[in-house]
Amino acid sequence: MGRYLSKKVLIYLITFFFAVTLNWAVPRFAPGDPISMLLSRFVVLEGGRDILESFFVKTFGLDQPLLQQYFGFWRSLFRGDLGISISQYPKPVLSIIRDAIIYDIIILVPAIVLSWIIGNKLGAFSGVSKKADNFLMPVFYFLTSSPYFWFALLVSYLLGIVLGIFPTSHAYSATMRPGWNLAFIADFFMHWFMPFLTLFLVQLGGWAIGMRNMIIYETNTNYAKYMESLGARERLIRRYGFRNGILPQVTGLAISLGTVVSGAVLTQMVFSYPGLGYLMVQAIKQNDYFLIQGCFLFLIIMVLLANFTVDIIYMFIDPRVRHSYSGEV
Amino acid sequence: MKARWIVLAVVVSLVLGSTAVLAAERNQTLIVGGGTWSQATSWNPLYPNCANGIRGLVYETLFAYSPLTNEHKPWLAESGGWISDKLYEVKLRRNIYFSDGQPLTAADVVFTYELARDNELTYTPLWRNLREVKAVDNYTVQFIFDSPNYQEWQIELYTRDILPKHIWENVPGEDLMVITNDDPVGSGPYKKLLAGPDRNVWVRDDNWWGNAVFGQPKPVEIVDMIIYENNVALGMLMQRTLDLSNYFIPGVPAIKDLYGLTTWYDGPPYMISANVAMLVLNSQRKPLDDAKFRRALAFAVNPEIIVERVFERMVPVSDSTGLFGGWTEYRDAQVAEEYGFWYDPDLAKQMLADAGYVDKNGDGWIDMPDGSPIDFEIIVPSGWTDWMESIRIIAEAFRAIGINANPAFPDAGLYDERIQTGDFDMCINNYGTGISGSPFSYWNWVANHNINRTHVTEGNYGRYDNQELFDLIYKFNQLPPLSDESLAVASEIQKILLVEMPAIPFWLNGMWAQSTSQYWTNWPTADNPVGYPCSWANNWQFGTVEMLINLQPAQ
Amino acid sequence: MAARDFWRRHENLYFAITNKKVIFGVVIFLSIMALSIVGPMITPYDYEEFAGPGYQRPSKTHWFGTTIMGRDVFTQVVYGLRSTLLVGFLAGTIASAIGLVVGFVSGFFSGRAPDEGLMMLTNMFMVLPSLALLIILSAYLPYRGIVTQSLIVAATAWPWTARAVRSQTLSLKSQEFVNLSRISAAPTFRIIREDIAANMFSYVFMVYILQFNGTILSSVGLEFLGLGPTRGISLGLVLQNAVNWNALHLGMWWWTIIPGLILTMLIVSLYFINTGLDEVFNPRLREL
Repeated sequence: MGRYLSKKVLIYLITFFFAVTLNWAVPRFAPGDPISMLLSRFVVLEGGRDILESFFVKTFGLDQPLLQQYFGFWRSLFRGDLGISISQYPKPVLSIIRDAIIYDIIILVPAIVLSWIIGNKLGAFSGVSKKADNFLMPVFYFLTSSPYFWFALLVSYLLGIVLGIFPTSHAYSATMRPGWNLAFIADFFMHWFMPFLTLFLVQLGGWAIGMRNMIIYETNTNYAKYMESLGARERLIRRYGFRNGILPQVTGLAISLGTVVSGAVLTQMVFSYPGLGYLMVQAIKQNDYFLIQGCFLFLIIMVLLANFTVDIIYMFIDPRVRHSYSGEV
Repeated sequence: MKARWIVLAVVVSLVLGSTAVLAAERNQTLIVGGGTWSQATSWNPLYPNCANGIRGLVYETLFAYSPLTNEHKPWLAESGGWISDKLYEVKLRRNIYFSDGQPLTAADVVFTYELARDNELTYTPLWRNLREVKAVDNYTVQFIFDSPNYQEWQIELYTRDILPKHIWENVPGEDLMVITNDDPVGSGPYKKLLAGPDRNVWVRDDNWWGNAVFGQPKPVEIVDMIIYENNVALGMLMQRTLDLSNYFIPGVPAIKDLYGLTTWYDGPPYMISANVAMLVLNSQRKPLDDAKFRRALAFAVNPEIIVERVFERMVPVSDSTGLFGGWTEYRDAQVAEEYGFWYDPDLAKQMLADAGYVDKNGDGWIDMPDGSPIDFEIIVPSGWTDWMESIRIIAEAFRAIGINANPAFPDAGLYDERIQTGDFDMCINNYGTGISGSPFSYWNWVANHNINRTHVTEGNYGRYDNQELFDLIYKFNQLPPLSDESLAVASEIQKILLVEMPAIPFWLNGMWAQSTSQYWTNWPTADNPVGYPCSWANNWQFGTVEMLINLQPAQ
Repeated sequence: MAARDFWRRHENLYFAITNKKVIFGVVIFLSIMALSIVGPMITPYDYEEFAGPGYQRPSKTHWFGTTIMGRDVFTQVVYGLRSTLLVGFLAGTIASAIGLVVGFVSGFFSGRAPDEGLMMLTNMFMVLPSLALLIILSAYLPYRGIVTQSLIVAATAWPWTARAVRSQTLSLKSQEFVNLSRISAAPTFRIIREDIAANMFSYVFMVYILQFNGTILSSVGLEFLGLGPTRGISLGLVLQNAVNWNALHLGMWWWTIIPGLILTMLIVSLYFINTGLDEVFNPRLREL
């Protein structure tokens, strides 16, 4: 167990290091200078631009040699200082991200958890009932094959425009103030529902199919057949099958996290839902180095932490790992 | 057992909480969008990227400017004018005060300008020609120049936010641009209420001095939404969660009656023109260094197609001179007649042939006189869909007369980098061609003289070098508005620009404005010009505040 | 007689072509392929031209309707399909190739240094959210063409193949016939080629299909965000345009729904083929 955990931690640390370096390097070696971009949109008096330009360059330290900037980046990372946004100067990157991250968590966590639970249950149901299977399988396939953004558009069109039930953008209405009251929460829920539904449904399909296949596989294993021949009740067999089938689904959950976070980025774009993914795309359009780095960093951290959590859960579920019988599964 | 108490506590707090603050009523709130593209992080009027609304809603300028009538409307000033060649005098209104109750007097005006003299601010360059600003008495300010830039001054009058001396004199020099000024104190009709990741909210100052002079603005709150996609804006318009949209929204002409949208004009061009969209040619690259070649290009394109297909007639074709609005007072009709351009592809081909550009190697494309091939890349930022379609059409038009031209869509950051460093053939641009109180800003953009640097940021990305033209533009700036001499110089400038054609003005981009009338009525339109429906930054003093005063809540 | 022998020898093939799921998937996939090949030939329009008035619903003259500016949606879709399929194919092949090599080597040398190192690398790439990585990479490329896009999509897609190939290699490695080869001192490379690879073909084929799906989805996602190839047309670009020009709000559902539906059906068909083949190669799943 210790070996399993420490190995995982090592991988995550190395991944983190690699991602951070990549994160720092790519925006810097790209063409397009954020300061000039900011400057070009201001119509100021003659000569005013030079003053602004030198002011910005000094503030952002962009005149230092690259290596110094790299080490400076790690140093400030450990201090918890992610720099100051260029496009939203002078707001610190950390506070911009802090405002945005709640929106990611609030659509991702319920969607992932609920779709995993309900998807697995539906898949198991479909695995044993042939009638339901014939009806449900095409639906699952359709769901899991849909590109996130297209499905988001579909949901937005059907529920938002045609039926007019839900608002098609933003996190809450223009006339609302965030506050712990019923009106605001109701309004927030209405705006939250469609992005959540998109992420929920698309993932649901995948889990259901996976579980359904696992159930069928397990039902045909030797031990299942043996139990059947002994006259064990179908529900008992199914329970064992479910427990065995759950293992790869948990691994699958970890693996799918990267994908669903990507899906969340696309969904946020369609609904203008102000999460990290949305913020990152806007930051790229404006060449805001620090904000891009910050967003990417947080996405990585989120995914790594989630992976780690799943690994720990897996450790408790799979007795083989607990007793170090085999390494990777 | 415990769980039940927790649930009860939650429900009770929710219910109690609902009776709490719910903000202003919907029919007292004006929801706008289209002018703000990122979260507000600075309310400091000295910082160019400060929140949209700081100028106009919170801080005010000496004069307001109406692009529709080309008039400077006295705002903080009661009157202003040139007393002598080098002296401009402003008489302030009485009874103006800031939102903290302190009066606004000549001392504040003097302070605002001297701040730029004593520190490095964006308007410090004014002091190259300004010698002294003094308060003659509490309500009279005199600007004494060494050699006045009359034309630029026309623009300055409605651009400078007047700051409260009693607050800003305590700010150290090096902090002037840096401080965020979280609680801005200005003389304007609105105050900052809050700023979130997707909105700015302004609340009406019921003690505004202007209530007695101009009238009281009707919306108690203005919510300025930050929306990145125009389809989202359209959705909000349709769901009536947006009252005024200043976004470019495709399809407005098709659905405006169906969804009850109000635009300035009922028919084409639907919108007021806001700036000139130009095809900028890089005159440092052959054969674009040849004026004859450049001029021929202007005859090759039919901008009507762009206007009709891309913009569904929401914009007009530009005049050859590019002048529109108040600038037309300087337009020389004879020069335009003689040197202007129109759509005539055969003529374009002829002009090219006459200048020595024909297809030498039979591949179907026109080549250089020495036989080497010609091919161009036209660039616009990726994602600016209307411009992307426009250059597809322009490239197609060029190909139709034998010029090998292709559109490309680099990302916005790369686009800016390339045009500033001169690494492009042709591009569409309009950054500095917004309507203003003097065509000087337009000409100084098209033919800016600061081109000898690695990054050109003040216009003239094509680095067109013509000292005679630069001198004329400089001279124009030094001439009083509409004086005979200024008109003569303006003529000269127009003629050179038409003959040399460093950039081709094709259409006038619109001041996009669509509004819904479920909560507010009496929107300004061509038939009812009670204001200027624009929530873009630094446009509030163009008549938008007037619009706010004249809006009526719907019954 | 000969036919029955043939089928008896290639038992798997028989099951493959009679499996309902495989048939369904193949039919749809081939139809879409046909659309992308034949479509551009039968359409009277060019994808850039203004083929008629805007806002037209699907009709006899415009099978999928027209866009807001009057471009023919059918033409845009069939040309776009070509580009998208090409990227998916190219990226999928490259990713599979990389994944195969990594997976084999890693599985064969399992437990030893090459395996540990490669697996670490694989896990790293798997954990990173691929779209975020792709966004960062593509946003900063000065020029984006089909090949460039395929390369970067492949760069984030190969870990899946590698992992799958490795686990299959592991399980095969411990089989009797491989041990026999080892005892007989056959060279490593031959063992890999003859014993392991030959038995993995079916598995690899299925993984390739999944890979193809993944790369298409990734690249369409990129195109939708405006980070796809800067020239030409692709399905993601058609959808992006539809969204940018307010297709849904303006009632032009055909511009958004139809291209997305075709894309979804493409992916569904591949999944069906994959599941069907899974049943074929794993008889235990054949029950339903």
